[in-house]
Amino acid sequence: MLVLEDLAYAHPVRWGSYSFTMSAAAGEVTAVSGPSGSGKSTLLDLIAGFLDPTGGRLTLDGRDLLPLPPETRPVSILFQSESLFEHLTAAHNIALGLPPGTSRAEVAHKVATALEEVGLPGVGNQRADTLSGGQKQRVALARTLLRNRPVLLLDEPFSALDDDSRAATRTLVRSLTEAHHWITVLVSHHQDDIAALAARRYQIAAGRLLLA
Amino acid sequence: MKRSRRSNSPLPPRPLRLVGGVGVVAAIAGLVALVLWSIAAAASAEPAAARAPIDVRHLLAMTSIQAGLTTVLSLLVGTALAWALNRLRFPGRELAVGLFASAIVTPGIVVAFGLLAVWGRSGWVNAAWQALFGAPLDVPIFGLGGILAAHVILDGAFAARVLLGRLDGIPVARLKTGQSLALPAWRRFAVLDWPAIRGTLPGLAAIIFLLAFTSFPIVLLLGGGPANQTLEVAIYTAVRLDFDLHGAVLLALVQIGACSVVVLAAAAFGHVPSSLGPVRQQRWADRGWARLAQWLVLGLGVFGFALPLGAILVDGFGAGLGALLQRPTFWRSAAASLVIASLSAALTLLLAFTLSLGRAASDSPALRTGIGVPSYTYLAVPAVVLALGLFLFVRHLGISPDAAAPAVVVIANALLALPFAVATLGPPLDAIALGRGRLIRSLALGGWRQFTDVEWPLVGREAGLVVALAFCFSLGDLGVIALFGTQDFATLPLLMVRSLGAYRTNDAAAIAAIMLTLTILAFVAIPRLFGAVAHARA
Repeated sequence: MLVLEDLAYAHPVRWGSYSFTMSAAAGEVTAVSGPSGSGKSTLLDLIAGFLDPTGGRLTLDGRDLLPLPPETRPVSILFQSESLFEHLTAAHNIALGLPPGTSRAEVAHKVATALEEVGLPGVGNQRADTLSGGQKQRVALARTLLRNRPVLLLDEPFSALDDDSRAATRTLVRSLTEAHHWITVLVSHHQDDIAALAARRYQIAAGRLLLA
Repeated sequence: MKRSRRSNSPLPPRPLRLVGGVGVVAAIAGLVALVLWSIAAAASAEPAAARAPIDVRHLLAMTSIQAGLTTVLSLLVGTALAWALNRLRFPGRELAVGLFASAIVTPGIVVAFGLLAVWGRSGWVNAAWQALFGAPLDVPIFGLGGILAAHVILDGAFAARVLLGRLDGIPVARLKTGQSLALPAWRRFAVLDWPAIRGTLPGLAAIIFLLAFTSFPIVLLLGGGPANQTLEVAIYTAVRLDFDLHGAVLLALVQIGACSVVVLAAAAFGHVPSSLGPVRQQRWADRGWARLAQWLVLGLGVFGFALPLGAILVDGFGAGLGALLQRPTFWRSAAASLVIASLSAALTLLLAFTLSLGRAASDSPALRTGIGVPSYTYLAVPAVVLALGLFLFVRHLGISPDAAAPAVVVIANALLALPFAVATLGPPLDAIALGRGRLIRSLALGGWRQFTDVEWPLVGREAGLVVALAFCFSLGDLGVIALFGTQDFATLPLLMVRSLGAYRTNDAAAIAAIMLTLTILAFVAIPRLFGAVAHARA
């Protein structure tokens, strides 16, 4: 269980202070909605470690995550766009999720398996900039599989996708979350994404999270 | 609450890169301090030569006047050329743009020689004039006119390439709006072009002024006597011809002071512009007189820039080449030039990467500025002064300048190219750090993996450009080798000057043609090679 207890942050430039309290369980998607500028991305940055909170607690199954820098937090993050390095192939992007020193054969095997699982067998040798928006997000999810981190943060991941890709990627996120017991936190201002995925919903209002 | 170090930064922590950047800063600062100390110590120790006092005021005035005129004329020519190239579409346009881009690496001594080949007493124009009218045409190629012409050819072309990048970067939506309003040519320039280029002009003016202020080979070849001497040439004359070390030191101090003032002023104008803007396609041609004027400007520009270079190739690869190839000194000088240029390019790349990666790894404004400063060393302490300081230092240590010459020339040439190298590599590495820092950090990529998988494939071509720039700068440098060169140790530019001094004009022409060919080859091939290697790696 991922738990935020009065996790506080005061934005140094923009007006606004936040205090987040929420919990998210393994094997399900927890969704956070709110209008633009309400603090959704700030919430993810605090969980991922890109921002230092000014107070409160953040724990994963009772373990304090706050001392950990972003590199070592048990968290994967999928951005709205630019989750891949466009100059690298899909396989190379996925392989970045494996620790250095992994043997070439093992990399090839794991990358192929991950691509298979996200429904993209055979695209490994394509450069990322030749893939569609939906394919890019699937490749990023394949890399998440290899990183094997228990928490997946999704920052408006479907916003740039067309309707068909959107539906397919949503289904994939849900099935991967259930199959791998990920704690998936989705922030979005699209109600249909939230309705399709969320087992638990929060709404941000005035810098606080309200259980919807 | 326990906090992770720097966890609030989107940039991955890279202590080694910061240490590397600070280390290079310290090394360059130490070298500059050594140079200044050597010059100051020599100033107090050397007895004044028993000859007429040096007229520092005249030298400073002459240097400033020629640099000021060069700046104004180059900006006018550059703006006109950029305007014409931005509007016109024709077969070979890319070649013309490449030609102007290559101005930054074309050795000054080669351009000066090319001007002589066209406009000199035995040049093409005079020969044609004499054939037509039976009397020689007296073009004042030696003196201020010749110096300005050579500088404007080089710096005007450089300015044109930089300003073209700004004009080609005007957003398409803005162009469409202007086109739908049917703006006439002059109004289009005022409303769309001028706002795009005016921010670049002060920085560009500063860099051109500095390049002209510290120009050495052009003034040496085309100065035509003491009346047109500049500080750099006066330092060289004092050391190598008059053996007046006291006078040289005095001039060096004046030169450093003057350059520092200009560098500080330039820093206030913003960054030094790079010539590496993308050439974007745009289809909105002007009509009527404007179009006619654009063709005229382009024709004059290409004629003015390409004719001297063409003359060098035609004259140089003519009768004199065979005799030159028989001279053992040519082969020794060519080998020395290639080795020094290669080592200097490698050192420049190393220094530029270390400084740029160190700067990109930091989000502290003070540290970023501190790591960025050494790249301007050459501009404040120009080549001849740097060489003089090192010359005095090795002499102070009791080392023969002959023995130290190769290492000193490599280091001084590398510093010479560093401002351009950092201006080329710095911005893309900064952009990667800012745009991809969060992703890199969230994937926990190590520093080496970040470099090999992300940075190198993306900046490989820029790295090739840095190598090409540094290689060409070193290949064409005369300022450093002029002080350190000996009978046994000379590079191609020094051999060319010596050939001219010995009235072996055919040899000088052939050397100029070889240098120009090597420069063009390096400038075209090296970035492509690096781009291909980096692409293959990705």
